[in-house]
Amino acid sequence: MTALGRWLAPSHPAQLLLGLTIWSLWFVALYGGLSVACELAPPAPRQGALTGINTWLAVLTLATLALLAWLAWRGLCAGRETVGSARFIALVGAGLHLFSAAGVAFVGLPLVVLTPCL
Amino acid sequence: MAGDPAPMSESMRPTPEAERLHSELSTVWGNPRGWRGVFSVVNHSTLGLRFMATGLVFFLLGGVLAMLIRTQLALPDQDFMSPEIYAQVTTMHGTVMMFLFAIPMLEGLAIYLIPKMIGARDLVCPRLTAFGYWCYLFGGIILFASLLLEMAPDSGWFMYTPLSSSEFAPGPGSDFWLLGITFVEISALSAGVELTVSILRTRAPGMALHRMPLFAWYILAMSLMIVVGFPPLILGSVLLELERAAGMPFFTVAGGGDPILWQHLFWLFGHPEVYIIFLPAAGIVSTLVPVFAGRPIIGYGWVVSAIVITGFISFGLWVHHMFTVGIPQLAQAFFSAASMLVAVPTAIQVFVWLATLWLGRPRMSLPMLWITGFLVIFVCGGLTGVMLALVPFNWQVHDTHFVVAHMHYVLVGGMFFPLLAGAYYWLPLVTGRMPSERLGRLGFWLTFLGFNLTFLIMHWTGLLGMPRRIYTYDSAMGWDLYNLISSIGGFMMAAGIAAVLVDLVVHGRYGRRAPHNPWGADTLEWSLAMPPPNYNFASLPRVESRHPLWENPTLGDEIARGEHARPGAAHGRRELLGSEALTGRVREVIHLPGNSLLPLFAALCLAVVCVGLLMRIYPLSLVGLAGAGVLLLRWSWENGGHSRAAPLGHNDPEDPPLHSRTADGPGRWTMGVALLADGAFFLALLFGWFYLWTVSPQWQMPDQSPLSLPLLLASGAALTLGTLWLERRVAALRRGHEAGLTLVLSAIAALGGLHVALLVAALLAAGLEPTATAHDATLLVGLAYLLVHGGLAAILIALQACRAGLGLVGARLPFEPGVVALLWRYQLGVFWILSAAIALLPRLTGAGS
Repeated sequence: MTALGRWLAPSHPAQLLLGLTIWSLWFVALYGGLSVACELAPPAPRQGALTGINTWLAVLTLATLALLAWLAWRGLCAGRETVGSARFIALVGAGLHLFSAAGVAFVGLPLVVLTPCL
Repeated sequence: MAGDPAPMSESMRPTPEAERLHSELSTVWGNPRGWRGVFSVVNHSTLGLRFMATGLVFFLLGGVLAMLIRTQLALPDQDFMSPEIYAQVTTMHGTVMMFLFAIPMLEGLAIYLIPKMIGARDLVCPRLTAFGYWCYLFGGIILFASLLLEMAPDSGWFMYTPLSSSEFAPGPGSDFWLLGITFVEISALSAGVELTVSILRTRAPGMALHRMPLFAWYILAMSLMIVVGFPPLILGSVLLELERAAGMPFFTVAGGGDPILWQHLFWLFGHPEVYIIFLPAAGIVSTLVPVFAGRPIIGYGWVVSAIVITGFISFGLWVHHMFTVGIPQLAQAFFSAASMLVAVPTAIQVFVWLATLWLGRPRMSLPMLWITGFLVIFVCGGLTGVMLALVPFNWQVHDTHFVVAHMHYVLVGGMFFPLLAGAYYWLPLVTGRMPSERLGRLGFWLTFLGFNLTFLIMHWTGLLGMPRRIYTYDSAMGWDLYNLISSIGGFMMAAGIAAVLVDLVVHGRYGRRAPHNPWGADTLEWSLAMPPPNYNFASLPRVESRHPLWENPTLGDEIARGEHARPGAAHGRRELLGSEALTGRVREVIHLPGNSLLPLFAALCLAVVCVGLLMRIYPLSLVGLAGAGVLLLRWSWENGGHSRAAPLGHNDPEDPPLHSRTADGPGRWTMGVALLADGAFFLALLFGWFYLWTVSPQWQMPDQSPLSLPLLLASGAALTLGTLWLERRVAALRRGHEAGLTLVLSAIAALGGLHVALLVAALLAAGLEPTATAHDATLLVGLAYLLVHGGLAAILIALQACRAGLGLVGARLPFEPGVVALLWRYQLGVFWILSAAIALLPRLTGAGS
């Protein structure tokens, strides 16, 4: 197995950090993307939430959500098949991925209702 | 060593073998006597206690400032303090409590406890512990001196620009803050780096991650948060000091800067800081609750998850301190939601503690009383935190006493109460005597009632509209009674703390002798003699349970009799076992450096740098900086196979080997974690560049980038070539090929020198005007960052060449070049990223035209 493969394995300690790192990167992309887009091409306020900015950020949010949900499922499956520290890492990692997915959904929810650059 | 503790407590009977081991280990691990001992000691127990004692002194000073504030506000229209002095007192109260008390106190506790809890004899970088302590002490003294000189900072503890800029704060107060706090932050980073590596790499054999004490998980999270969270403020402080001292307009709109950038940099640090303070305190709670409930904690994995979640999410909340500065509502909604999200891991922990108490048989001993107080106060503080996460409510109470009350509920409830619970819990371990129940309970009730009288009422004062930091108020405002009650409560709380302090001071002499493991605890520190000897463990136990003392109550006897790994120190080295981060499997024997004056002298040189900058005597600062550089390099020289460390000999252990004979000792991890901090600083700098570029209202991007691409490319090529060559040579060394090592390392150092020279040429050719525009000032800081790192990389590899020539690096000592290679790799990454950001991207986007 390559070094990258080992790091991505569900029982590697990096799984304790991976889900929330993805959440953090998504959050930076969300806030940074919104700020830059509002600076470069702010949409008209009358458009409400139905703007290109909201759409792109929502697509990013859904993609991140799907990735995290899959990682959580993978960790859960691995946790059932391992023992000891590997099982501990896989299950806690799965929980953290799941929480990160919930975090993405919850924090991303305002994209559906709020005008972006007001 | 006379005066040293016995190898076992009175309840345990020392055997002749235990006495022999104690004598042998004391000779190697003992603290020197007299003044030299005061200044050269590196032992974690001594330094941890010093951190806490110094933190206590600063706490008392900060507490006196709090009483002055409450005296001033007790009645309307008071002139007890002038507005100028009041502003200094409030600024210093917040600064002292946050930077000089809370963080160092918890670091001190961690420094003292972590090796004992994870089965190690010391932290992995003992001289760094000492260096951190001296930096803290000198930084604190410099900062506090400003108050005595009546030139203390007066812009609030978060030093918002432009209030803290030279236009509105022309005196040296802001400089004292910026330089003193940066000095103290060096200390925090030192502790953060070494605690991280110690927890990951020096746990007892068999102590896999899932068997680690919860307190170690909390401290691991705290340490990593310090490593990532403090650098943005260090960058902010550097930029603001450059603006104040040299006129570089990073935060001045007219020069293309933006004062809001300071708020971002400060709160990027400031909000995680709250959790940096809370997490170790929660670690105390998670340690004590199972002990006093008499059962293992419910949901160990849930708590670990909650710790990791808190560590991450707390970095995504900083903008909730800035809801009123004019950020788009959608962005505010993101931060509002993230701020509510952080309540989830906190709630998980609260429910875990309650469930553990519910299913156990709780004993309401003195430490548990403080834990109960914590639960009540912290839950209230958490709820007002969720209220403040809501944007409309936040706007309504922004900058009022409601926020002050919330902050004190979270920080005093979340940190101070658990800290005192921990103090009462671990006091018998430190002194061998029990505290007074009667005095302790009196202290608790006075503190608890006084605190709530002060700060519960303050919520109403805030809701009635009283702004924070006003030095007095008119009686017509209707705030009189609330302020009077708060002041009475404040003095009641002070009386409670005085009672606790009396107990802490006198119990060492008059308290009854503590029985061994007086609380019936499960963690390793209670297997030690009380007080513990300098070396902690006479032999290093194998731990395959989360509750080693509940599983084996006689473990302490076995350890003292030398029945576990590496008993004694006949070899004369200070040794730890290095273990795998995940499994706890033993990998190597780590040899540690002994007592030294180098950390003190290096910190003194940095103090000279600070004083020189404060007095604007820049040559003095340069001398101090050069002195610190020389001393730190000398410190690094006494390493590995050096005669003062572990020279190659015939008594080297083979299985496991000494770490300096391997390719992956703790030094490599220390470098890695230090570079993580460096990376956080770099990312904050990159954020500053892009922020000013996109947001600053009067940003001035020149038509043509002043940076020469050919010079930058040539400099980068030299660096790339050097890094690749070094990586190749390190790999060869690991395979045992050492022929021509000195020559190759010298050539790589020359490439490093060429990289730096070309970078200097690019800087000179750019003709920057850093005092005219924020653009040029940011370029200068970016290039200076690359120059410092490039220069350091070249010097360190040149020293490696010298060491290879002297036989201190080679096939049998392959460790050090791999450590330096990490720095080269880092420099390679940041060089190309920064070059792309500041030289290439403006050209590609045609930003200036």
